[in-house]
Amino acid sequence: MTRKTEVVVLGSGPGGYVAAIRLGQLSKETILIEKDTLGGVCLNVGCIPSKALIRVARLKKQIDAGKQIGVEVSDVKVDFAKAQVWKKSVVDRHTSGVEFLCKENHVTIIKGEGRFTGPHELEVRTGSGTESIEAKNVIIATGSRPVEIPGFRFDGTHVITSTEALDLKEIPKNFVVIGGGVTGLEMATMYAQLGSKVAVIEMLDQLLPGLDIELVRIIERAFRRLGVDYHVKSKAKEHRDGKVYAVLEDGKESSFPCDKVLVTVGRRPNSDTIGLDKTGVKTDSHAFILTDKKMQTNVPGIYAIGDVVGPPMLAHKASKEGIVAAEVIAGMSSEADFRAIPSAIFTDPEIATVGLTEAQAKEKGYDPIVGKFPFTALGRATIAGETEGFVKIIGDKSSDLVLGVHIVGAEASDLISEAALAIEMGATLEDVAFTIHPHPTFPEGVMEAAEAAKRKAIHILQK
Amino acid sequence: MVFEFRLPDIGEGVAEGEVVKWLVKEGVEVKENEPLVEIMTDKVNVEIPSPKKGTVLKLMAKEGEVVKVGQVLLVIGEKGEQATTTTSTAPTAKTPVTTTPAKSESLVPTPSTPAAVPKKPQEILATPATRKLARDLGVDLSLIQGTGPGGRIIDEDVQQFKRSGARPAVVAVTMPGKAGSEERIPLRGIRRKIAEHMIKSKHTAAHVTHVDEVDMTEIVQLREKTKESAEKRGVKLTYLPFIIKALIPALKKYPYLNSTLDDQKEEIVLKKYYNIGIATNTDQGLVVPVLKDADHKSITQLAEEIARLSEKARAGQLTLDEIQGSTFTITNVGGIGGVFATPIINYPEVAILGVHKITKRPVVRENQISIRDMTYLSVSFDHRVLDGAMAAEFMNVIKQYLEDPKLLLLETD
Repeated sequence: MTRKTEVVVLGSGPGGYVAAIRLGQLSKETILIEKDTLGGVCLNVGCIPSKALIRVARLKKQIDAGKQIGVEVSDVKVDFAKAQVWKKSVVDRHTSGVEFLCKENHVTIIKGEGRFTGPHELEVRTGSGTESIEAKNVIIATGSRPVEIPGFRFDGTHVITSTEALDLKEIPKNFVVIGGGVTGLEMATMYAQLGSKVAVIEMLDQLLPGLDIELVRIIERAFRRLGVDYHVKSKAKEHRDGKVYAVLEDGKESSFPCDKVLVTVGRRPNSDTIGLDKTGVKTDSHAFILTDKKMQTNVPGIYAIGDVVGPPMLAHKASKEGIVAAEVIAGMSSEADFRAIPSAIFTDPEIATVGLTEAQAKEKGYDPIVGKFPFTALGRATIAGETEGFVKIIGDKSSDLVLGVHIVGAEASDLISEAALAIEMGATLEDVAFTIHPHPTFPEGVMEAAEAAKRKAIHILQK
Repeated sequence: MVFEFRLPDIGEGVAEGEVVKWLVKEGVEVKENEPLVEIMTDKVNVEIPSPKKGTVLKLMAKEGEVVKVGQVLLVIGEKGEQATTTTSTAPTAKTPVTTTPAKSESLVPTPSTPAAVPKKPQEILATPATRKLARDLGVDLSLIQGTGPGGRIIDEDVQQFKRSGARPAVVAVTMPGKAGSEERIPLRGIRRKIAEHMIKSKHTAAHVTHVDEVDMTEIVQLREKTKESAEKRGVKLTYLPFIIKALIPALKKYPYLNSTLDDQKEEIVLKKYYNIGIATNTDQGLVVPVLKDADHKSITQLAEEIARLSEKARAGQLTLDEIQGSTFTITNVGGIGGVFATPIINYPEVAILGVHKITKRPVVRENQISIRDMTYLSVSFDHRVLDGAMAAEFMNVIKQYLEDPKLLLLETD
């Protein structure tokens, strides 16, 4: 028997579950299909568990740092198995929270693998059989998965993805990361802080490719202090006999001993496993689903959101797109017309950025002015023992508009929201500089950077 | 050398103009100072002369298109050169522009050929909440000129645009009329400006019209007596200069009628100068040339200037300077007919005086019916700025001077 509904949301990650809840709020009859656990990669094997384990690593670092300020704890050791239990409890708490919210909003959850059999027909393979669903509207929110590279076939034990890297039973002695992107560097930092000997191998000419190199320099310095052995312009060749073989920048082959090798070289959209050919939905050359600003695909009634529609692959982008798709289905005028999408990287120190870099601003025809303010000049940073890093703000000279903010330093992930709001509201440097920021706090750095762009920052010399 | 000629800064805060007519074609040779294009700004047409000699390689705007100051109008170069267009807007130096017809004035060419600067992104500044409002109302933000700080589009702008129904974001479906029974005339040039201006005034000012009847007998007699001597001086004397003379003391006594409302600062700006706009009918549509410092001019001077300006208006030769800066406007439909009208305020002014036909009518004077030269005067005012009582008192002053013109002798300017 075919079940009929107004909306099917395919995939329950931060895009899908948010869309489903919003649809429920808007009184749309909604079925949410999830093949695994509610919450998708983000909640189960991504953002949330990684930040949980990163907290463990940071806490250890802070306890170690306590000695300098008179707090001595002897014999600090990490019980990683216990940390994993705690991490799982964090994940479970949030996945059950999502389930609760879905149910309370009258969203029907079906556990199973869904695929299209027609533009408005889906088939779900559940544990107990197959179910057919007919839906007026479908939101594709199937996310992405890690890509493999030659010589490194994922085996789940030695050559692993981020999923396994977050679920290790013990801290690896030797940990090799292939791919110096966001996930790779977060894991590299975390395991290095927990005591692993870490190496990072990146193919392109810088770590965190695409990011303002000035920010990356701070991370490189942090890596040198942590003893992370990083290599750019280097190509990992193969994994053999507990070693990763790679050709380094100098053209010579080198080997890195490892008990775990994490491959994080990118993710591909899950658009190929859902019977998309039955719908006529168009994708681009990278298999990302094409949508308009209302998240509509070329097929009426089919929407797509999140990683499956293309980069940046960020949970918060997916969530916002999910809300847009849900509201459009409910007949509202919503559009994904945001001016900027912030991103946060939980290295140590953290990096967070929103908007244009100086180079991008120039490319777009602005006349950028740049203000930079170092964490060393922030009282709060000194107290926290976190004086690495800076806030860099990019404004347009003639209009004074804030175009971008780039932060490397403690709490960067929390600092960036103010900048995102500024850009979304069309604020000027003057607006940010004038707004009173409480003292002593990290956000003062954002204010002072805006002042520095006009060469009037108080707490640094600008001659 | 390829030269991109951009719409120069014409002055007086003009930010854009409409291409009314191209006077050259692609491929033709132009001389320096040869008129290239007719541009409609605000309410006058200006002819833009070529800054240099060369061949017109490419026209970058269509007739009817609105171009912004700094936007590339056309590309001039050597014959056979490629018009590689780089940009469409960029700041330019102030370039003088001659008004129609351009003959003798010389033109300073824009200082240098702009290099291939990337186009400055067209920012549509609006907060997320305002963007949502615009979507809900079906308003295309790119069509709106924001009035918020730094050109930000604020909620009020979106609502205003929606109310004015200007250019809808969604193309309206028009029902085809019977073949041949309808004619479609594009809204262009002065007509479009008038449409925009009127709708802005109607939707902004709180219009009220106050009407009074005025005994013009004394003025009619005064004009009869002075007409001839004026004619000898080559001046055709109409009633309008007399009415202006009666208007000035009324404006001085009630300065709120000679003001503008600064919506943004929420301040009323009282003008201490008296530039009287004279609504003038032309073949193209209504234009409003301005009598500057009318309070310092004699009746004959006013008459002369009105004649000169209305002639220029009809010939489409008014300069920008001659149509800007009015503080109060008079519209005179007396020559055409009607009893009285309720004119639309020449926004951002706050009041307009409607002058109508003078006819002989029986009226009661000292309990006798007598035949007098009567007219109606109407004043439309912005009720946001002043109230009906003030408008009535203002009208009483005008009426007093017109009914007893001797009093004008007591006025100093």
